[in-house]
Amino acid sequence: MVEPLSPLETDWKPGHYGHVANGAGVTLSQTQPGSIVQAAAFAGEEKTLIAALKDATGLALPDGAGAGVINGARAAFGIAPGRFLLVDQAEGLADTLSSAVQADTGTLTDLSHGRTAIRVAGTSAQWVLAKLFAIDFALTAFPVANGCSTAHHDIFAHIQRTGETQFDLYVFRSFARSFWKSLCHASEDVGYQVK
Amino acid sequence: MSARRTAGGGRIDRTRSVRFHFDGKAYTGFAGDTLASALLACGLTLLGRSFKYHRPRGLVSAGFDEPNALVTILRGDVREANIPATMIEIHDGLVAESQNRFPSLDYDLGAINQLAGPLFSAGFYYKTFMGPAIGPLKGTRLWMLCEPFIRRAAGLGRAGYATDRVRYERMNAFCDVLVVGAGPAGLMAAKTAAAKGARVILAETDPVLGGSANWSNETIDGEDASQWAARTAEALAETDNVRLLPRTTVWGYYDGNTLAALERVADHKRVPENGEPRHRHWTIRARHVVLATGALERPIVFPGNDRPGVMLASAAARYAGEFGVLPGARVAIFTNNDSAYAAARALQRQGAAISAIIDTRPNVSETAAGLANEADAEVLTAHAVVATKGGRSLSGLLARTFDYQTGRFGEAVREIQADCLVVSGGWSPVIHLASQAGTAPIWDDALQAFLPPEPTQKWTGAGAFLGHFSTAEALADGHAAGQAAAGGAKARKPALPKVESLPVDPTPAPVYEVASPDGKGGKAFVDFQNDVTADDVRLAHREGFLSVEHLKRYTTLGMATDQGKTSNIPGLAIMAEARGISIPEAGTTRFRPPFTPVSLGALAAERYGELKPDRLSPMHDWHVENGATMYSAGLWYRPQIYGKAGETVEQAYVREAAAVRRSVGIVDVSTLGKIAVQGPDAAAFLDRVYTNMFSTLPVGKARYGLMLREDGLALDDGTTWRLGENDFLMTTTTANAGNVMQHLEYFLDIVWPDLKVTLTSVTDEWAGAAVAGPKSRDVLAACVSGTALDNETLPFMGIVHGEIAGVAVMICRLSFSGERAYEVYCRAGFGRHVWETLIEAGKPFDIVPYGLEALGALRIEKGHVTGAEIDGRTTARDLYLDWMLSKKKPFIGSMMMDREGLVSEERARLVGLVSLDNQPLGGGAHIVEHNDPHAIRDSIGHVTAVCYSPALGKYIALALVRRGKARHGSRAYISDPLRRRFGPVEIVSHHFFDPEGSRMHG
Repeated sequence: MVEPLSPLETDWKPGHYGHVANGAGVTLSQTQPGSIVQAAAFAGEEKTLIAALKDATGLALPDGAGAGVINGARAAFGIAPGRFLLVDQAEGLADTLSSAVQADTGTLTDLSHGRTAIRVAGTSAQWVLAKLFAIDFALTAFPVANGCSTAHHDIFAHIQRTGETQFDLYVFRSFARSFWKSLCHASEDVGYQVK
Repeated sequence: MSARRTAGGGRIDRTRSVRFHFDGKAYTGFAGDTLASALLACGLTLLGRSFKYHRPRGLVSAGFDEPNALVTILRGDVREANIPATMIEIHDGLVAESQNRFPSLDYDLGAINQLAGPLFSAGFYYKTFMGPAIGPLKGTRLWMLCEPFIRRAAGLGRAGYATDRVRYERMNAFCDVLVVGAGPAGLMAAKTAAAKGARVILAETDPVLGGSANWSNETIDGEDASQWAARTAEALAETDNVRLLPRTTVWGYYDGNTLAALERVADHKRVPENGEPRHRHWTIRARHVVLATGALERPIVFPGNDRPGVMLASAAARYAGEFGVLPGARVAIFTNNDSAYAAARALQRQGAAISAIIDTRPNVSETAAGLANEADAEVLTAHAVVATKGGRSLSGLLARTFDYQTGRFGEAVREIQADCLVVSGGWSPVIHLASQAGTAPIWDDALQAFLPPEPTQKWTGAGAFLGHFSTAEALADGHAAGQAAAGGAKARKPALPKVESLPVDPTPAPVYEVASPDGKGGKAFVDFQNDVTADDVRLAHREGFLSVEHLKRYTTLGMATDQGKTSNIPGLAIMAEARGISIPEAGTTRFRPPFTPVSLGALAAERYGELKPDRLSPMHDWHVENGATMYSAGLWYRPQIYGKAGETVEQAYVREAAAVRRSVGIVDVSTLGKIAVQGPDAAAFLDRVYTNMFSTLPVGKARYGLMLREDGLALDDGTTWRLGENDFLMTTTTANAGNVMQHLEYFLDIVWPDLKVTLTSVTDEWAGAAVAGPKSRDVLAACVSGTALDNETLPFMGIVHGEIAGVAVMICRLSFSGERAYEVYCRAGFGRHVWETLIEAGKPFDIVPYGLEALGALRIEKGHVTGAEIDGRTTARDLYLDWMLSKKKPFIGSMMMDREGLVSEERARLVGLVSLDNQPLGGGAHIVEHNDPHAIRDSIGHVTAVCYSPALGKYIALALVRRGKARHGSRAYISDPLRRRFGPVEIVSHHFFDPEGSRMHG
């Protein structure tokens, strides 16, 4: 089988970098999910879509701006009114969903290759991300499993908090290498490990 | 003036000495010193030369309001000019130099300007640059000759040319309460809000929190105020919900309670930590703000008030109290209020002799008299300073009896020996941020100061900012503000710390200026940094510049880098006096951001060089590895040519394009904008946004589409593929993808929200390679499985699904080059794999990768349009695309496209040009009818795209020319005076090559 190529490719170099005298403040890694799918509900069909997604994937999405859910290898969160990003470490999620969502309810768009998933984890994750995004990353304002859509310069990003000190970022593939450089640069003062 | 270090005291660390350089000479100070305090301790009082007159200048203040002691910091070759010495923390290896002097501070040739003083009065530039209006030089352009000399003589620090390679950074923060200023009021507010559980950020300009507590000599809760401040700050630092930001100046207050701040992270270090920025720019979004920004002492304007050795009373007290430096051995005080008496006593206790206290008021309070007594100082009531003595430093002054209410002088004149004169003209609350987030400031007659305005955003004030000058008031205010900002129930009786302080009342007599009684005594400066005198203000008045805004522009009062922190109120007062009106009637300044200068590096942080965002195709690395010259197209990088050794760009693209026409070529089209248009109403939506019909398009087919804007002009073109009944893949031009997406989203969200359609950018989901040329089908046949590729299965604009080397692909037969061509799409992660397989399969056919230049040449030969022709000014008819304008349905732009001006025969329309002199044509060049290289007029159009056509063996171009097709076969001339190009061209059809399309369809 042909393995998909990461857009980071040559710029992804495992190791320790920056100010790591006191250990790495963050760990940067790629989660390389097999599936990234956008599910979008037509106006008024949001609850129907959420129910259909739950039936098909077991992911019970709370109904609310940015609300999300994590369940083992699968996760989902709101990225816009009536729009959700669903992620699965396994491939084929788009196919699983396509039979579950009626044409009148909404649409599914396979973005497995179009978005690159980068994980920022560690005690300084909030500090590093605050350099890039005008988002309140405090746990009270951004609980675990919640997500948001935002941008760093011209780079759009969807972000889901997947742990108290862990965030999964989804950026457009073409921007991924550029964003990775920014992320590494922003992590230098706290020290970072690429894993 | 003989400044010196005191025997003890101050908050400096006398066990750690620090070596630094100023004007090439080594000095030593202590950790905790500013450059100003360290130089003062070394006995230096002359620290700068003034802007226009090159007058010797010394320290006026001890903080960010310093107008005189501006220096340039040198970091290697990088120069940073105009930094107040009062704001620079010394560190080992610091190198600073003085400014605006030649050859040295002590002997400055520019000081000759003082002799020509009257010439450089207010409005000098306006008058001079009009040229002399009378006299023998009238009508000459004398000023043009003088300008370079004037520019050289005036000014402050010199900028450098070296690239600043240090790091700058931006940071976002959110909090419940932002406290600006960490004096007693700010510390108390932060402590109170934090105790209520609020998320607090406390920002302080100085490196050490505490503000006036660090030099006030007061006690709080029985301990030295500075210790109380240090203890409070330490406790806050250990609180989880508090972030302390020392060395951070909040410089702007914007909508939505968003504030901008600059943190000087590493300026005080010889070498920053690994990854540490020099400056960090903070954007802070606060639910509530507490402004505890304190107050600034004002100088009094009097003759000779700029002589080194004349400084603010609070500054002198601060140098003594915080830095253990006495600015003089014999200190005279000139004041209009009681606060300077406390300074007198503090200086006396540190070892200075107080030679006299000159007070404009006829009577002083018992407290003041008592302090004067303790300081062993003679008090001259109802006196004013009318002149200062000395050269580059103060040696004495003249005090004369003075009635401040009438402004009249008596006869008695006293000469007083002093090497330092400290001045207090009252206090102005620092209301700059409040003024950016409030209504107009409010004048207070008693305090003779503008107080903060009514808030228009969520902030609360505390302490001296409100005109409450005692520490006890500051603590009470801070507590209340912290409570209010954090919200929730109020504590009934707050247990506030007890303060022991001198009960001095800073309410001043309204004295701003002591005009010279006899025209002697020297210039009286209002704005030290821009060299604006009291006479300049009066000149502005005489010449009719009465409004405070006109006064400012005419005299440059308050326009220097200090933004008039010490000069605005005195300047306003002098104008009010001249006009015979009150200060609030004369007006005030609404302070703009930034409060203090902000480094450009911090504003531009991480948006340049390697950190500039860019977009890369999935095949980017292959292109680079295979010798492509990459070309930036918007944010994308695309191959321009795959040049061989020794080839010019033209030779390379001609070779590549010729190979496509002869055999086969491959080009990366991954950068084309791709939008998934999905949903039951997708076809109906496309019928509305495209000029032609899409609902009739069968599944498995693609169609070329054109979009107009609402005004009827062309917006973008591209092909859209129907992948399923409710599933379309729209392609757009690379550069226009964002625009088209916004355009479509606008109509979907605002105009037709009832349509069941989803739009998603899938540009990055797909890698695309166009295989073009007579042998293209052979190349595909060699590597594609799972589908037939014959004309019947895959006709022009047909789509098939298959596999290439184990990867699913979509193949659409369409052509930009005019050859038989196929676009092969696969998921982006497999892009390089598929691309390399295609290259391998193409080897027997001599496949050639081609870049943007060849792509351009091929499309010009075919007369296909791009963004160069769809430039926002052209219509479908202009481009001979009117066959695409459906008459069966309305679409965006259909109502407006038939307007008279848009259907005129006179419009510039698409044509082809052939160079008749066999020379290249230039994009953007004009087309003229007359064979006259010198007549730059009568343009009939312009060139949009040029190339050498390998198919025709000629230089050709596309152009927009008036009356278009009607000129086919006629001769014209290309006129390009900027590039010195003029030559004959023939106007022809834009379909240069294979107009019937037999190669593409066959």
